[in-house]
Amino acid sequence: MAVELTMVRMKVAVLRHSMTGQRAGFVFMGALLGLTLAAGTIIAALSGADLLVAVYAVWMLGWVLGPVFAGGGDETLRPEYFTLLGLRPRRLASGLLMAAFVGVAPAISLLALTGLAVLGARQGVVAALVSLPAMLLQLAVFVLLSRVAVAVLGLALRSRVGAIGAGLANGVILAFLGQIWVVFVVLGETDGIPPVVTDLARRLPSGWGTVAVEAAGSADWPRVLAALGGMALLVVLLLAAWAALLTRRAGASRAATRGRRPIRATTASGAVLAKEARTWSRDLVRTHQLTFALAYGVCFAAAPLLMGWTGMLPWAGPVFVVMAAAMSANLYGTDGTALWLTLMTPGASDVRGRQHAWLLSVAPLAVVLTAGLALVTGGPWPMLLAVLPALLGGGAGLVALVSVYGLIPGTDPHRRGGNPLRSTDDDGAVTGVVYAVLMLAILTAAPAAIAAALLGWAGVAVGVLTGILWYWGLGLLAERRLLAQGPELLNMMRTGRRSSSGPSGTAGVRTGFEDLPRHEQIIVGLCFTVGAIPLFPQGLVAGYLKATGSPTRAWFLALYLPPWLQWPTVVFMVLLGVAIYATGVIIPYRRRKLSRAASTPG
Amino acid sequence: MPAALEIHGLCKTFGEKVAVDHVNLTIPQGSFYGLVGQNGAGKTTTLSMAVGLLRPDEGHARIFGADVWSDPSTAKTLVGVLPDGMAMPERLTGREVLTYLGLLRGLPRDVVDRRADELLSVLELDVAEKTLVIEYSTGMRKKIGLATALLHAPRLLVLDEPFEAVDPVSAATIKTILRGFVAGGGSIVLSSHVMALVEQLCDHVGVIDKGRVAAAGPLDEVRGTGSLEDTFVELVGTSDGGSKELTWLSS
Repeated sequence: MAVELTMVRMKVAVLRHSMTGQRAGFVFMGALLGLTLAAGTIIAALSGADLLVAVYAVWMLGWVLGPVFAGGGDETLRPEYFTLLGLRPRRLASGLLMAAFVGVAPAISLLALTGLAVLGARQGVVAALVSLPAMLLQLAVFVLLSRVAVAVLGLALRSRVGAIGAGLANGVILAFLGQIWVVFVVLGETDGIPPVVTDLARRLPSGWGTVAVEAAGSADWPRVLAALGGMALLVVLLLAAWAALLTRRAGASRAATRGRRPIRATTASGAVLAKEARTWSRDLVRTHQLTFALAYGVCFAAAPLLMGWTGMLPWAGPVFVVMAAAMSANLYGTDGTALWLTLMTPGASDVRGRQHAWLLSVAPLAVVLTAGLALVTGGPWPMLLAVLPALLGGGAGLVALVSVYGLIPGTDPHRRGGNPLRSTDDDGAVTGVVYAVLMLAILTAAPAAIAAALLGWAGVAVGVLTGILWYWGLGLLAERRLLAQGPELLNMMRTGRRSSSGPSGTAGVRTGFEDLPRHEQIIVGLCFTVGAIPLFPQGLVAGYLKATGSPTRAWFLALYLPPWLQWPTVVFMVLLGVAIYATGVIIPYRRRKLSRAASTPG
Repeated sequence: MPAALEIHGLCKTFGEKVAVDHVNLTIPQGSFYGLVGQNGAGKTTTLSMAVGLLRPDEGHARIFGADVWSDPSTAKTLVGVLPDGMAMPERLTGREVLTYLGLLRGLPRDVVDRRADELLSVLELDVAEKTLVIEYSTGMRKKIGLATALLHAPRLLVLDEPFEAVDPVSAATIKTILRGFVAGGGSIVLSSHVMALVEQLCDHVGVIDKGRVAAAGPLDEVRGTGSLEDTFVELVGTSDGGSKELTWLSS
C-alpha cells in the first residue's frame, strides 16, 4: 500500500496548496451544489428504489461525461509524473485510483451513495449491512468508469475519426439527457418514472448497488452475491483496462496529417483568418468541440420528434451555434503564450481574424441546418431568420470578448500532457465560462426574438442588425482590451495565475481582489459564482417560462409554488441574485477605499 | 546616434519578490551584447520588459530612440524577438508560420515567400516542410523562433537563451547567421548562462544578479585579465566559497 498512500498524501498536499482565493470559491460553490444534489439523492432514497436507481444512473453519467465539459476531469496527479519511477502499470493505476478517491467530487458522491444505506435501513438490518460494501463498490465503479472514459476519449482524440466519433457520442447522450422529459412523455408516464427506464437503470452498473440492497431486503442471497460480485469484478476489469490505457497514453494529441493547403492570403487579416481556419481544422480538440455542438444541437432539437412534435426541429441550428460558442469561449486561453506574437505585431487585427474564422467554421453549418430543417417543418421562418443572425453575431462577438475578459490561463499546447481534453488546470473556471457563455449567447438573441414575436418579419431586420452590432461591438471591446492589457494577459498565460501582481496595479480588471484577506476572497468568489443561480435560472428563466406559459417546471422553484406566489418568487430571486452580485462588488470596493484612505496622508 | 536599445530604471515586482530592480543598460548600435546571470537573476524579465512583452512597474525602454510603451508600432518594427519557451501558432507548419507572421508584419507576399524559403533552407527546417510546429523538437522550435525574429529584417535582435537545447551543428549555423547580422550593421542582445559562449560571440557583456546590474560594458573591461567565468563567479558568487558535495554520492 506504500505507493497508494504516498500518492494519496501527494494529492492532499497539492489540493491544499491550490485552495486559494477564487479557486477556493469555485470549489466551495461546486461542493455546495454537489451537497444539494447529494441531499436530493438521499431524499430520493426515501421514496423508494425505483427513483433511486434512476438518480444513480444520472450520477454515473455525470462521472463519465462531466470531464468532457470540465476540461478532462481531475488530473491533480498525472500519470506522467510517475513515468520515471518504473512502476508496473497495475501498481500505477491502483495508486492513482486511491488518490482519485481523495477530493470533493468522490466525497460528495459517497454522500449521495449513503442513499443505499437509507434504502437498506428501511428494509432491515441485513440490508443495511449489505449497503455498506455496496456503497464503496459503487463509488469505485463511478470513479473508475470516469477514468477509463477519459482515457478512451484521450485515445480517440488522437485521430480525426476518433475525435468526430467521440464528439457525436457525447453530444447525443448529453442532448438526450437534457430532453429526458420527452422520453417520459413518450412512455406515457408524466408523474413517475416509466418502468422501462427503471428496469434499464437497474441493469446499468450504477444500479447494481441498489439491486444488491433490494435483494438483501427480500433475502434473495444469490442476487445479492451476483450484484456485489458483479461490481467487484467490474472494478477489477476497469482497473486492468485503465492500467492498459495508461501505458498507451503518451504525447500530446496528434494533429491531422492531411495534405497541407498553402496559405494564399496576401493581407494581415487574411493571414490571421488562414491561421485560425487551419487551427480549427487541424486541432482535434476543436474538431471534437464542433462535432459535439453539432450533435447536441441536432439531437436536442430532434428529441421531441419521439412524441411527434416537430416544433423544435428547426432550432437545431441555433442550439448548435449557442453550444459552439460556449465550447470555444476560451479562444485565447487555448493558444497559450502564442499571444506574444500578437503583441509584437501591433496593428494586425487578430481579434477580427479569429471572429471570421469562428464564423466560417460555424455559420455555414448552422445556416444549412436551420434552413433545411425549417423547410421540412415549414417555419417559423421570421423567428428563425431573426434569431440565427443575432446568435451568429453574438457568438462571434462573445468568443472574442469572453476569451480576453474572462481569460482562463491554459497550458501551452506543446506542454500538455497525455490528456488532450486538459487545456488548463482551472477546470472549475472552464465549466463556469461554458455556462456563462451559454447564458450570454442566448441573451444576444433576445432582442431579435422579442421583435420577431411582436412584429413578425420586421424581427429579421432586428436580428441581422443586432447580429452585426454584437459581432462588431463586442469584437471592438475585445480588441481594445487586448491592446490595453495585452502584456498582462500574456503574463497571466505565462504564470498560469489569473491575477497579475505588482505595486502599480496594472492588472486586468483591477478589482482589488488579490489584496483582500482570504476569507473575504472566498466570500467574493462565492458571490460571483452563486449569484447566477437566483438571477438567471431561478429568476429570469423561470419568469420567461411563466410568461410564455411553458409546461416545463424542471428545477425552477417558482413554478412549483401556488400561482399567486410565483411572480413574487421570480422577482425575489432576481433581486436576490442582484444583491449577491452587489455584495461581491461592494466588498473589494470598500476595501480599496479603506486602503486608499489609509495610504493618503492627512 | 541613439542606442540600439536603451533600458532605463526598469523595475518589476512579482508579489513580494523584486525580480528586476532599477536596471540600466545601454546596447550601442552594432554591438553584440551578452546578458549573463544565474537562473532567476532577472534576465528574462528584463528582456521581456525591454521589448514590450511585460509591463514594467517603473522605467522605460527605447529601441533606436522609439519608446517601447508609448510608440510601440515604431519600436516593434525595428526589433526581432526570440522569447524563451513561449508558444507559437502550433497547428501551422514552419513555412505557414513564417507566411502568417510576414503578412502580419505588413510585408508584401512575394517578399515573405522569398525570405521564408531562404530562412527555412539556411536553418535546415525545409526538410520538415509538412510537420506542424507542435511536433517540432525543442531545437527546431528555437530555430523557427529565430526565423520569425529575423523575417522582417529588424535592426535589433533580442534573443532569450537562443542556444539552449540546440545541437552543436545547428548552433554553429545560428552563430554564423548572428555574426553576419552584426557584421551587416545589426545589433544583438542575447541572454545566456553559458559564459564560454558569450565570450566567444559577444563584444559587450552585462552581468545581472538578483535583479540588478552587477557589471556592464565592453567584454574586455568587464572581465579584465581573467576569464568571464571567474569574473562572473566573483561578482555573483556566494560568500561561503567552495561548492558543496552530495554526501551519499561522494562517500
